[in-house]
Amino acid sequence: MTYQEFKDAVVRYAGQRQIGEYELYFTERDSAKVEIYKEEIKSYKTESGMGICFRCIADGKAGYASTENLTAEEAESLVLRAWDNAVSIESEEECFIHEPGDSYAAVEQDGGAAPQGTRLVEAALGLQRELYQADARVIDGTQSFVAYGEEKYAICNSKGLDLEDRVSYSICYAMPLVSEGGEMYDGLKDKMGRLEDFDLKAIAGEAVEDAVSTIGAGGVSSGSYNVVFSNRVMATLLAAYAPVFSAEAAQQGMSLLNGREGEKIAADMVTITDDPRYEGGVVKRTFDGEGVAAYEKNVVEQGRLVTLLHNLKTAAAAGVKSTGNASKASYSSVVGVSPFLFYIQPVEGTLEDILAQAGEGIYVTEVSGLHAGTNSVTGDFSLSSKGFLVKEGRKGVPVKNFTVSGNFFTLLKDIQGVGADLDFLGSNFGSPSVLVPALAVAGE
Amino acid sequence: MLSRQLLTEALGRALSTGADYAEVYAEHTRNKTINLVAGKTDKIGDGVVSGVGIRIFKGTRCVCGCASSLDSQAVLDCASRVAQALQEATQVEHVVLRERLFGDVHPIKIVPAGVENSYKIDFMRQMCQAAMSYSDEISQVTGSFLEADHRILIATSEGLLAQDRQIRTRVSVSSVASGGGENQTGTVSPGARKGLELFEDLNPAELGREASAQAVTMLHAGYITGGTMPVAIENGFGGVIFHEACGHSLEASCVALGQSQFAGMLGEQIANPKVTAIDDGTIPNGWGSVNIDDEGTPSRKNVLIEKGVLKTYMVDKLNGRRMGMESTGSSRRQGYQYEPTSRMTNTYIAAGEDRDEDIIASIEYGLYAKKMGGGSVNPVTGQFNFAVNEGYIIRNGKICEPVRGASLIGKGSDIIRDIDMVGSKVARAQGMCGASSGSIPTDVGQPLIRVSSITVGGR
Repeated sequence: MTYQEFKDAVVRYAGQRQIGEYELYFTERDSAKVEIYKEEIKSYKTESGMGICFRCIADGKAGYASTENLTAEEAESLVLRAWDNAVSIESEEECFIHEPGDSYAAVEQDGGAAPQGTRLVEAALGLQRELYQADARVIDGTQSFVAYGEEKYAICNSKGLDLEDRVSYSICYAMPLVSEGGEMYDGLKDKMGRLEDFDLKAIAGEAVEDAVSTIGAGGVSSGSYNVVFSNRVMATLLAAYAPVFSAEAAQQGMSLLNGREGEKIAADMVTITDDPRYEGGVVKRTFDGEGVAAYEKNVVEQGRLVTLLHNLKTAAAAGVKSTGNASKASYSSVVGVSPFLFYIQPVEGTLEDILAQAGEGIYVTEVSGLHAGTNSVTGDFSLSSKGFLVKEGRKGVPVKNFTVSGNFFTLLKDIQGVGADLDFLGSNFGSPSVLVPALAVAGE
Repeated sequence: MLSRQLLTEALGRALSTGADYAEVYAEHTRNKTINLVAGKTDKIGDGVVSGVGIRIFKGTRCVCGCASSLDSQAVLDCASRVAQALQEATQVEHVVLRERLFGDVHPIKIVPAGVENSYKIDFMRQMCQAAMSYSDEISQVTGSFLEADHRILIATSEGLLAQDRQIRTRVSVSSVASGGGENQTGTVSPGARKGLELFEDLNPAELGREASAQAVTMLHAGYITGGTMPVAIENGFGGVIFHEACGHSLEASCVALGQSQFAGMLGEQIANPKVTAIDDGTIPNGWGSVNIDDEGTPSRKNVLIEKGVLKTYMVDKLNGRRMGMESTGSSRRQGYQYEPTSRMTNTYIAAGEDRDEDIIASIEYGLYAKKMGGGSVNPVTGQFNFAVNEGYIIRNGKICEPVRGASLIGKGSDIIRDIDMVGSKVARAQGMCGASSGSIPTDVGQPLIRVSSITVGGR
């Protein structure tokens, strides 16, 4: 059965069951990925996938069912399951099928076209060669991969809404392994964008530098330190705590920002923006998971919480308008709330300026164990970290094997410096380098 | 799921350009999740995942493809697409498939999909109500129910045709305790490779109270002062320490590429002689158990470390080719969209001979980690970290006040040498393990253990 035939069957069954309000959410994905080990293709993978989610409203409650199996039997089952699930919902908040009428932006996607022939393989092999050439200490175990993907998101509903977004992107990962003095050190650099824009030599250079710079890293004495988070580490933290800005989490008592709109929650220099069509961003979206138009908004402006992120349900419960942040992690997910491209606005100065401002402290370039070490309900974090000591305002010797601990809500208020060096982690989170005074560090 | 004729044709196509091995993996999975917030059903997820993943090997190279359809044309197209990427020869191969039945040691009494939502919700409600009424300080309770009915079929150019049906059920309750502008949380989430008979093993009110007790205890706890100290780690989810610190580094996926801290160390004493560690996918109804792995190899009990000596790695077919080792039945994938690789099933440190009270009494000043949170590891360096969700200070051999904010960090190869006392009461707990081949159910486990010295992060 084609998607169109399946869709027609679902609409027919919904009609027979006298289900008046419903929506079909459809995603399609094609991708190819090449992985290199030594100087050979280790794996070449192609993927072609799609999925459909049917959502219907029964007495204000939303029921969902999804499938990848396009048969007539499944079309009927989808409608029955979704209805069954809708009538099992007890929470009082009302859910909605969105009316047409928003004004949707027209966007030019610039993720590039599908690489032809052996372009992807050549890029991956080229990246691997650059890794080996970057430093004599690079050893086997080093890996590179390059991937290209195209995705389509479509939504249509019983009120006549019919929308579609298409995005494409290439990603490369350089993962060198270097060996010195019997110890192994790994590095990483990833890049997302257009394949033709990737500077393989530069990417390999940064990845190897990431590994080599940690050679001989020592420990840190426990204590309180001025901490400079690198732009990407700060973006990682922002990603881990993005749920605290969700009105859904707030309304459920799972975010300490509940009811604090209008209050100062961060230092004056902190402005946090969500921009679904960030200029220069790889993935640009025009509508959210419920079909509401997506738009740019400041969530925190000069330290003040302007708004939480809303979908139609949370907005109705709060008596405000949706901010167009209904999210579906995959086609099969139930609607939640999350930002599109969420980033801390750049302020002033290079990384060196921020390190100079810190004077003495630690520059953290890598944190790990986020799913265990961060808790968005409490705001507490305790993260295994790597980085460099900061001495007399300059980057000093490498250090590892320590944890940096604190609380995200306190950290936002304590921020003393925000650089101009905005960088992004994949397509969802970004930040400049940030200086936070007096964080607890546990080491030796 | 797919006819023998279709499988034979797909394998023939996949082999047609010079591959020396081909495999078709088909999946049909039905998942359901039910979430309760404040005692009321809030969201229900209900999905069918079905598709095919095809792999071919030529030496140690692998080409794979997947399609989200079990339609004959889609399966054959996928096989052709995979074959096209190789193009090293033209050959006609005819595979004769012989179906094998490996038996099922995980009986299922009540298939969850056949039971109405209300039955599942009733159980959850009891759990959540008990959690909510535990204390006035409990400000929110969420509950979740998860069922998965995962059917797989594997056919290979070696003639193997095998199937498995894996049914799993899990419940979870999370409590938030609030006071003084602060929140603390507590969570309990048991599961098994069982149907709804799992409910018979569980007392919903007890689960709810356990989650709330943890949240309330932590709300009144002070922050631990970080430093290096001895740590006693409780049984059950405490086993996450072995899973993260060593288990991942013993997977062929990193050993074969020379990326593991334990590569090339078979037969060597890598751990304290008190440590015996096992990965066993055959435990009846175990959360991480499988009858066959995702390459069709029967699961088995692998002794990884015996009295401190490294006995084997966990090996899949492709990495086995690099290492010159046979599969240990350890190949796993979340589903058809993922390339399988060597992973853990139910991994635990075996019982030792120390008494729990002696372990606690032996520590003058240290940490008792009663409940561990999750963790992560870099298998290359062995550097791991994990969160202690419920911890207490040990002073003069006695468990004293609770402390929050503790995390354990260190290096896998160090910590397994530093496990110097091992208790006798093994318990297992359930987790989801994420890696390149997706998110899969795994059990972790151990008795109470003592680590003589470890860096504890705090403030």
